This record gives sequence, C-alpha cells and structure tokens, in this order.
Amino acid sequence: MTISTALHSDIFLTYIAIIGGLLAFAGVVIAILMALGKNVSGVWKTYRGWLVMVPLVIGAIFLGRTATIIGVCLLAMFGFKEFARATGLYDDWWMTSVVYLGIILLGTASYVTDPRLGYAGWYGLFMALPAYVVGAILLVPIFRNRAKGQLQKVALAIVGFIYFGWMFSHLGFLANTPHAYGYILYLIFAVEINDVAAFTCGKLFGKHKLRENISPNKTIEGSVGAVLISLTIPWLLWFSFPHFEPWHLVLTGLIVGVGGQLGDLVISYIKRDLGIKDMGAVIKGHGGILDRVDSMIFVAPIFFHVIRWIHGIREVPVS
Amino acid sequence: MTEWEYHPAPDIDETMSEHLRNFPRQPYMLMYAIRSLVALLLRGWMRIYHRMRIDGREHLPESGSFVLVCNHTSYLDTLCLLSSVPLKKIHRTFPAAAADYFFSSLPRSAVSAILINALPFDRKVKGAESLTVCAELLKNEGNVLIIFPEGTRTTSGEMGRFRSGVGRLVVGTKLPVVPCFLDGAMKAWPKGKAFPRPHRLRLRIGTARTYVHLAKTSESVGEICRDLQDSVAELGRLDP
Repeated sequence: MTISTALHSDIFLTYIAIIGGLLAFAGVVIAILMALGKNVSGVWKTYRGWLVMVPLVIGAIFLGRTATIIGVCLLAMFGFKEFARATGLYDDWWMTSVVYLGIILLGTASYVTDPRLGYAGWYGLFMALPAYVVGAILLVPIFRNRAKGQLQKVALAIVGFIYFGWMFSHLGFLANTPHAYGYILYLIFAVEINDVAAFTCGKLFGKHKLRENISPNKTIEGSVGAVLISLTIPWLLWFSFPHFEPWHLVLTGLIVGVGGQLGDLVISYIKRDLGIKDMGAVIKGHGGILDRVDSMIFVAPIFFHVIRWIHGIREVPVS
Repeated sequence: MTEWEYHPAPDIDETMSEHLRNFPRQPYMLMYAIRSLVALLLRGWMRIYHRMRIDGREHLPESGSFVLVCNHTSYLDTLCLLSSVPLKKIHRTFPAAAADYFFSSLPRSAVSAILINALPFDRKVKGAESLTVCAELLKNEGNVLIIFPEGTRTTSGEMGRFRSGVGRLVVGTKLPVVPCFLDGAMKAWPKGKAFPRPHRLRLRIGTARTYVHLAKTSESVGEICRDLQDSVAELGRLDP
C-alpha cells in the first residue's frame, strides 16, 4: 500500500467512485427533502459527520500502509479513552497509561517487519501481545501497593485493551496483506452499510423487539433485513477479493451482517449499564468514536482470522 | 455480588470546543503532557531570551491555595508568573483571563486552556459568577490563582487602579495573597507588537498577606485593594 499503488489499484479507485457516488446521491436526496420543506436537521448533521469522516478514512488508506496503521492505532487509543472516561477508569492514570502503551505496541507490531520471516507486520508479536499487556495490567496494583477497588480497575483495563485495542487493531494489521485495499475498504464499507440497513429496515418493518433490555429501538425485522442485505454486498463487491469462492462470499456476508450487529449490541449494553447515551461527542451527529466504530470492533478480528484460515494473510507460504 | 460503582466523567457528552471553554476543566493526560512540556520550554525561554530574574520565590506558600496578584503591562506577565511557580504545580495554577478575548475562538480557547490553563473570567456581564468560580477553585487545597487586579494591560506604564474583584474574593478568608511586581515586560512585549523583544525581565515576589480579620464590607474590600496596590507598587520601587 503506497500512494502510487493506490492510484493504480482498480479496487481503490472503484471504491472511491462508489463512496463518492453514494455521498453525492445522499446529498441530492437531502437537498430535495429540504426543498420540499421537510425537517432534515438530524439527517443533515449525520451527513455532515460523514462528509468529514469519509475523506479522513479514504485519505489514510490512500497515503498507504503506515498511515492506515497509525490511523487505526489512534482510533483504538481514542476509542479506549472514551471507554475509560465513561467507566471512570480514566481517573487511574497508571492503568490508562499501561493500556495506551499496549495499544501503541499493537500498532508497532502491525508496522514492523517480522524479524524471522521477513514479512511486513510481526504477526507473532501481535498475537502474543495480549499475554504481555494483560500481565502488565495485573502488575499495576502490585507496583502501587494497592488492593481496594483494584479488581474492578484491572478488569476494566483488560476489557479496554483486548476489546477496543487488540480486537480493533486487527483492522490495521490487514494493511499488510496483499489484498489490503479490497479487505479494508470492503470491511469499512460493508459494516457501515450493515448499520444503515439495520436502522432503515427497522424503521420500515420493525415490530418485534430484538433485545428490549439492551437497545429498545432495535427490532428482529431490522436485524434480519440487515443480515440479508449484508449477504448480498460481497457478491456486488466481488472485485474486492477476486480469489474468493462463492461460499467465502456467503461467510464474509454473515460475518459482517451478524458480527456488526453484535458489536453494536455490545456497546449498547455497556452504555446502558453505565447509564449514558453516547460514549462521547467527538463526531457531531454521531456521538463518540466508539458509537461509530462499535460494529467494526467485533467484525475486524473475525474477518481477519477467517480469511487467514482460508487464504492466509501472505501470498507466499512460509517455507 | 455487589454492584460495581462507575464514575463516568461529567463531560463525556461535551464536544471538543465545550471541553476547552468550560470550567472547571477535566484532567486529560495529553493536555497535561503538552502543558508540562510547554511550561518547561517556557522556563528556558524566559531565562535565556529574557534573562528573567525572580526575587523572593521563598515567599510563595508551599502548601494550600493562594492568590498571586501582579501589575499588568503585557501578555508576558502571565507567562512570567507561570514560570515562577514550581513546575509540579503548573496544572493547578490558573491565570484568570478575559473570557471575551482569550476564549473567543476555538484556536484561542485551545491555547488558553491547554497551554496556559487559563480560567475564563467574564469581566463584562457575569463578573460575580466568575468570582464564585474562583472562590470554589481556591477552596480546594493546592490551587494557585493568578489575578491582574487592574483588569487590563496598562498602556501608559502607570499602574492602574486595582478593581474590587480580588478584594471581594479574599475578604474575611484565610487565603494568602502574594503581591508581585514585574519589571521590563512593557518594553519586552508592548501592547500591539506581534513578537516579544529580548528585553530583561525582573519579577519581585513580596510577602503573603491575609485578610481574615476584616469583615465582609465594601469598605474592607476597598481597603484590601488599596493595600495590595500599595504593596505591589512598593515592590516596584525597590532598588534593582
């Protein structure tokens, strides 16, 4: 992934065309609704948020592997920060620093060359890091000679590191694969479409509550609709991964369709337990970073490991 | 199993610009790191570029909250006073800054909040409210409030009349007020110039005063202001 490969990558350019077209189309629809005198302030706010986020994400991917890995690492750090601030873990700067450091190490492991195999991205270290970082988190109370309330802090820090750090960072590691553009752009695009589909299908056909104690607005109809739409997306975007067989497409669709909604529900019950509405207010019209990337956190590692089992993440097998 | 207690930060539903403008501010690691670094660089710059000399640093109370008052001739005053408190107190030192200027736009708010740690002081409409914020701040042990009682920078070089705010804040309380006099800032960075010149700075810190014996009347407030103004002027008259 470099600027010149991006400019010569049909996959990258096609995605730009698709995403640009969709944004333009949505803009026209909003403009028409405005002209008809409908109240579009809520939609407009969300749309404006997209107009800021899309160029940032596309820009990072365009700049190449380094920018993509740094971008994912920063998102993981700020996502964890929102979690830490929402739970109160942020008051403990020792714990928070250890997790930050762990996430920076994840970014580093995604970036450096494997010293033994010579591939970009040190897969072995990336997969081993949770053991070291969880170990380090567990040592913090010992270093500080404290016991009261430490189990809660350790538990929150481990969830914060593993879920918001390690699981999400799989997205950045995908930048090392030969099909990086296809994988990353497909994942981001499909996950967002899945979110929009669940919302829209729920609004149109929603009757039965999916999980009323967690997220009262989600419905079974919306959820099924989103899975169905997510199952069709890989067929439409087959050019992203031309080496996939049809059953891989089904599997990929299921991962995004089911996993995306599970990720959404995970953040929902965390927020409900904490008694807050949004994890933050960084992105106007969208809430916090975690409110936007919630689905991706769950999808990225599952997608990563499934394609790794089926195709491997390198072109050349280890001899 | 008993339930865990969570303490979500009170400002999680605020946007970035609200974070910067609202007060009291929540602590952020990145903000602290940047502020510490800038404070360190600032001290070096003050010492080398302005050859700043500080006399009477021993008069700064070591524990508890206190108020620093100083004559106001230039923007350098704030930076200079910030460089006079111990580095570990930098995040608990709050220069009161005019909200209508220092928090009027996002970039200014960012500099004021992150680098200077300024307390937005409304000198036009809600002066009393801002004083309450200051009083609350000083109730917590270990906070330092920097006030320029003249309310604005002097253009003539003559020290202006001290406004009543500082008097109302400390009358009848045990809060120590430390008078300071800064010499040379007017020549180093005159009002209207874009960059400071390498002129020598000299800060004199006087002995702390308290006004616990005074009743909360407007007469005592006036008395405090006069007393502080005299002690600051006195420091200015000392031999170099």
